[in-house]
Amino acid sequence: MRERFTARWAGVLISLIGIVATVWLAATGQLGLYIHPRYFVFTTVMAVIAAVLTIAAFVVVPGGDPEYGDDAEHEQHAHGEQARGGRRSLAVAGSVLVTVLAAGALLVLPPATLTTSTVDQRDLNASVAGPAAAGSAELAGGDQSSFSVKDWASLIRQGAGDEFVVGKTATLTGFVTPDPDDPENVFYVARFVVTCCAVDAQPVGVAVYSPDWESRFPVDSWVEVTGTFGANPSLDSLQTIAITPDAIDATSRPSQPYVY
Amino acid sequence: MIGRHTLDVVPTRRAAPRLGTGLAIGIALAVALLTLRILSPQRPSDGVPEQVRDFFTLSISVFVESLPFVFLGVILSIVVRIFVPEALFTRLLPRHPVARRAVMSLLGVLLPVCECGNVPLARGLLLRGLSVSEAMTFLLAAPILNPVTIITTYQAFGFDDGILLGRIAGGFVIANLVGWLFSLHPRQEQLLTPRFEAACRLDHDHPETGSRMRRGVLAFAEETSTMLPALVVGSAIAGAIQVGVSREALGSLGGNPVLSVLALMALAFIVAICSNVDAFFILSFGSTFLPGSIVAFLVFGAMVDVKMLALLRTTFTAAALLRVTAIVALCCLVLGLGVNLLA
Repeated sequence: MRERFTARWAGVLISLIGIVATVWLAATGQLGLYIHPRYFVFTTVMAVIAAVLTIAAFVVVPGGDPEYGDDAEHEQHAHGEQARGGRRSLAVAGSVLVTVLAAGALLVLPPATLTTSTVDQRDLNASVAGPAAAGSAELAGGDQSSFSVKDWASLIRQGAGDEFVVGKTATLTGFVTPDPDDPENVFYVARFVVTCCAVDAQPVGVAVYSPDWESRFPVDSWVEVTGTFGANPSLDSLQTIAITPDAIDATSRPSQPYVY
Repeated sequence: MIGRHTLDVVPTRRAAPRLGTGLAIGIALAVALLTLRILSPQRPSDGVPEQVRDFFTLSISVFVESLPFVFLGVILSIVVRIFVPEALFTRLLPRHPVARRAVMSLLGVLLPVCECGNVPLARGLLLRGLSVSEAMTFLLAAPILNPVTIITTYQAFGFDDGILLGRIAGGFVIANLVGWLFSLHPRQEQLLTPRFEAACRLDHDHPETGSRMRRGVLAFAEETSTMLPALVVGSAIAGAIQVGVSREALGSLGGNPVLSVLALMALAFIVAICSNVDAFFILSFGSTFLPGSIVAFLVFGAMVDVKMLALLRTTFTAAALLRVTAIVALCCLVLGLGVNLLA
């Protein structure tokens, strides 16, 4: 029985936990907190197929095949019962622990987005520098009212600042994260760019000059900033261009918090 | 024949009541888990430190992202083991070992599962009697030599700087080189974990009997019992590394021909991104890094990373994986430096 848990039931239980978590996230529109939308359909379809097999396993596994138990028994006698038995108990304890951890993380913890702690670990705007921003020429000719945080950040990073960005107005939604060089006066309105899942999320952001912002908007809260791009008045910030806000309003986290 | 008969009869006699009970228990448990999910808090509490929250968010994202691919790989592996006749492999694969491995390295074209799905599939192939070196060649090559990866790499880089060519050729050569090196091992089965090796022997000596659907479902329970605990552990390690290791230092290494290659290989190892889309991810770092380091990222990351090692450990010994990692890392370093010199 103990052997059978590690060999068969652990997988059935973790499958069921994963399937329930996935289907619930999909049904409540929260899969986007973890993975790129291109995987939504595939993930949901595989969850349903696996659900059929998992439920079928509840019918088949209790019978199992008679050979299985005998072989395990046989092996146990052949190799010294105590040492084997001890290792098996350890293996079972490990499987139970992993199953419980999976259930806790996937079914009990509230779904969440990444925070400023991850921004600190990953260079903000490091990733908008490449040929991915090749679109910036097109961007510069486009309709800037639809520009996202990512679009503006890449334009500024590409050096389109002085001729194109300065003087433009924008309304941007993102979460608040401090500028490490001048945390009192400047924050970023930031988003994470996701390629595959949250592990590869890269933070992008646009600097906002607003002295004493932290007394009004906590770090990681979501805001909508409306204002005009101009030279950054901050002396310490390395960002040369910042938004001088006309209005900053607290807002709730959008249903798709990441950009792609 | 007699044995088969008895085995077939015993389950059918007890089948009817068990069918109902099993279904009822399974569905009841699913409903209980869903209820637990619905009753659990919906909003993160502010009391939890951000690092802890992000650790869980990152680990859950790796798990949720990989789970469907593992399911797909497990299902394909069951199809290979139970529904595809063994003769098909012996008939279709060339006899000569080098040609066999070359064909195995191209199998990904037919079965475009990405890395996580390839591990259960490779286990199915091993159970079907393929050698360790052949399975290893498949595991290393398939994530790169498959249509989805080639198309996305082309979309990201076109033919610029030999990145696409370097990835395809490098992936093929390194996979076959590792396969050849492992084929020199006098007793290849020693590279497998004792548990899996025993399963291979059992499968070979006593082919299982009973209905195919029944065996398929049992195999699903057994394969997920091997792969999913490993996936949970692998996701947790990947999440912990993201929280613990800062990436800010990476950017400053971009211009150095040697350090940039090492830096992006390290990034590939820890970020554990699926090979089907890694080209888009690394594209955004394009102007900061030399092309050779991008090729090294795209080849190394597809073959070895922290999540893959956790999954592979279900099947191969730690010593075997250490050797694979070392050889692949050296080859990718050479490949990256070569592209940097040429481009």
